[in-house]
Amino acid sequence: MKKNLLLIEDNEYNLYMMSFLLEKNGFDVKVAKNGKDGIMLALSEKPEVILLDIQLPEMDGYQVLKELKNHDELKNIPVIAVTSYAMPGDREKILQAGANGYIEKPINPDTFISDILKCLKDGS
Amino acid sequence: MFLRDYMVVIPGWVFFLIVLGIGILITSVTWALILKRRVEDRTKKLKMALEKAQEADRLKSAFLAAMSHELRTPLNSIIGFTGILLKGLAGPLNEEQKRQLLMVKESSQHLLALINDILDISKIEAGELKLFPSRFDLRASLEKLIGMCRHFTEKKGLYLEFNITEGVHEVIADQKRLEQVLINLLTNAVKFTEKGGITVTCTADQKNYIISVKDTGIGINGNYLPLIFEPFRQIDSGLSRKYEGTGLGLSISKRLIEMMGGKIFVESEPGKGSNFTVVLPKNMEGQDEKESSLDRG
Repeated sequence: MKKNLLLIEDNEYNLYMMSFLLEKNGFDVKVAKNGKDGIMLALSEKPEVILLDIQLPEMDGYQVLKELKNHDELKNIPVIAVTSYAMPGDREKILQAGANGYIEKPINPDTFISDILKCLKDGS
Repeated sequence: MFLRDYMVVIPGWVFFLIVLGIGILITSVTWALILKRRVEDRTKKLKMALEKAQEADRLKSAFLAAMSHELRTPLNSIIGFTGILLKGLAGPLNEEQKRQLLMVKESSQHLLALINDILDISKIEAGELKLFPSRFDLRASLEKLIGMCRHFTEKKGLYLEFNITEGVHEVIADQKRLEQVLINLLTNAVKFTEKGGITVTCTADQKNYIISVKDTGIGINGNYLPLIFEPFRQIDSGLSRKYEGTGLGLSISKRLIEMMGGKIFVESEPGKGSNFTVVLPKNMEGQDEKESSLDRG
């Protein structure tokens, strides 16, 4: 069974790279380039996990997180932040905002999949 | 009329004193007013300078955060796609293509290390780096790092011995930052050693753990010894051409260990090897209290 995953990321190359890597590792990947589309896709697709960039146009990752966690149908879907915000304290801030996991960019292609699975295991 | 009357009553010398007094009074008041104005001026200027400095500080932090973010985003694609290609996920590669992509991978990792180091040192210099102390098992942490290091020593045909005495258990420190320091010492040892190997020891006294990383490598010239904990010294010394690195690792390590209340020092002999020692308080949080209570006692 393919794991249904939603990837919200505004950078075109990063979006392509991560979805390629995820699909090759057996994920069924839906993509959104902004928060609003991301939330709509989350509602229609009910993914098992959401990978969320934090710096996004218009609605940033924090706002997306808030919307997702306030929505009855979506609040139980684990959200993993995949972000370039890697200054001290960013991780804590993002987890505090409701993310179930945090992966720093640049991702490590050798461990990206296991990192995601680990976040899912720890979060549940 | 009146004036003349007074002049009759008041002797000349008193009149002189009064005029002198009034003169002094007027001068003093004028001076006081000028001084007050000057003080106000200076205060205003100082306040402006302070605001300007605070603004510059804020801008510097914002700049660093933005730089970190902006550099990571393209680096994510470079490292990601390189990894995908190397894994053969986008199709098979011939040996030469693999070789070249491995060089891209190494270069991008070097660039990432540089970004992380420059950010670290800037944060430390600005006094903005915060430590996150937690309680963890130092032995397990050391064993993990030595395990990670073994791959590299085996590749170079070096031995890797370790000796952790029985008393080494729990420590309260910033685990991520301590491991960063130890990884730095271990990778330096591997990098600068061509034959022989590396010995890691850890002992404990009442208050501290003493961790040492000893190698049989090229050693450090006595002239350079006092400088190696200063930023960018490897680059200065011209060694960077032969040995890759940011030249920031040791200066970051020193600051981090000092922030945890510890010390780091080196003994070295050119051609024989180097021995880096870290003295780490068992509890970085209790450190200040203990010291101040000792002072009082």
